[in-house]
Amino acid sequence: LDAAAGTRERGAARLSDPRAAHRGPDRLGARARKRPSATGRHGGRGAESGSAPAEPASGSAADADEGRAPAGFVAVVLGTRAHECHVSTRSRGQRGKCLVFALSFRAEPLQKKKKVDPKKDQAAKERLKKRIRRLEKASQELVPIEDFITPVKFLNKARQRPPMELPFEENERRALLLKKWALYKQCEHEMERGAIASLLEAQQEALQELKLSAPELHAEATKRDPSLFPFERQGPDYTPPIANYQPPEGRYHDITKVYTQMEFKR
Amino acid sequence: MAGCVRLTVLGVARCWRQFEGPWTRSLSSRSLALAAAPSSSASPWRLLGALCLQRPPLVSKLLTPLQEEMAALLQQIEIERSLYSDHELRALDEAQKLAKKKSDLYGEEEDEQNILLLQDLEDMWEQKFLQFKPGARITEADVKNDRTSVHRKLDRNLILLVREKLGDQDVWMLPQAEWQPGETLRRTAERTLATLSENNMEAKFLGNAPCGHYKFKFPQAMRTESSLGAKIFFFKALLLTGDFFEAGKKGHHVWVSKEELGDYLKPKYLAQVRRFLLDL
Repeated sequence: LDAAAGTRERGAARLSDPRAAHRGPDRLGARARKRPSATGRHGGRGAESGSAPAEPASGSAADADEGRAPAGFVAVVLGTRAHECHVSTRSRGQRGKCLVFALSFRAEPLQKKKKVDPKKDQAAKERLKKRIRRLEKASQELVPIEDFITPVKFLNKARQRPPMELPFEENERRALLLKKWALYKQCEHEMERGAIASLLEAQQEALQELKLSAPELHAEATKRDPSLFPFERQGPDYTPPIANYQPPEGRYHDITKVYTQMEFKR
Repeated sequence: MAGCVRLTVLGVARCWRQFEGPWTRSLSSRSLALAAAPSSSASPWRLLGALCLQRPPLVSKLLTPLQEEMAALLQQIEIERSLYSDHELRALDEAQKLAKKKSDLYGEEEDEQNILLLQDLEDMWEQKFLQFKPGARITEADVKNDRTSVHRKLDRNLILLVREKLGDQDVWMLPQAEWQPGETLRRTAERTLATLSENNMEAKFLGNAPCGHYKFKFPQAMRTESSLGAKIFFFKALLLTGDFFEAGKKGHHVWVSKEELGDYLKPKYLAQVRRFLLDL
């Protein structure tokens, strides 16, 4: 019987291959290893989908008929056995699992944990996402621009200067000075433009001469200089720096307000 | 682009041809002429890389009278359009209290409050400011007119000139060196700086391209088949740190502003050099 069961099992395994492509090789190995003791039926279940001629053993056909028992029945039978066995689930999309029963007389319907767990996890994740979305909608605080907010103490009317009427001569003087200044600035701009144009012209001529005499040097001269930018230089002050100057001692407290803005994906 | 470059070259060539001729002495004859483009690949012009080392200004220039007037006007307008500051409000309050005190007969109530008037504060600040001695805008090198020192004319760009022997004459020029094959012209200029200052000076070079050039033909005696003349290419650099050593360099170098260049350089050389120097 055992031998027959063994052959039936193997046959069943062979039959099950095309349909159970998602099952790994360990399943077959496990099946082969963990032969349940009285499972003519178990072995036979594999034959329900397969064609009879594939069965090598002759007595398998009868057993195959017998083996077409409903899954629940088989499960109950197995449950009472208190053995490690496989639950052969032939329908697609479901994976059999190895179940261990502690007590033999606890005949609960077997719970497929895999069915419910993903759903529970997904439900929890969705709840979290909902909360996050609510938070997003509620607070989208932008960083305040301090320059655009008038501090309250400057709204005090006592701070305003009394309106002053300027005399006519003062107004005239100002108007004339502004006109002179506009003209001066225009001349200054023209001079700067001329200076820059002459600089560029001199450089272009130099490059042209270089090209005439040494083309490869010209090619190197027209390459970009990556070390030039970023270019930083301290501008001139009113007085030059003092040699060996000792600055007064003290600590520097930086009280600038730093805002962080959380960026939410929408 | 190529068209306008060609035009400018021709224009300059015309000016150059005007200057040809009068120079006949051995080395002052820097007669410029258009290079007859050699048909062979080897150019008959010797290449020299020169360094235009500038010491940038440390101090801002003095304002012209018009600029002073305008600055005063802008300050006035700003005060007129502003609100009172805390300091000014305090000054107004104290002025009121003083006026009241003078008119009132009771004076003792006021003395318990703060005696430190705004006027006293301002005097204290003034005293503290006077204790600080800023650096002098006009240095002693200016007073002595010592042109070899870097600390002169702090509000202008200063350029380094060196005196070299060419043939039998001493000529003032920008430091230069002959180009050696295997290096770029900018590398030549950097080499010039290193040899001149014995690695004491640090400068920031402004790009790979030359800022100007000067071309001259050798006098007839010196011309050979391979060297018809020389082309000098100038590279600008800003001096960051360092200076010459004291000993051994006296009389050979000078730091000079744009107006004083004319005292040292030859006319045609000067004309080319002035084109790429910004007049501050």
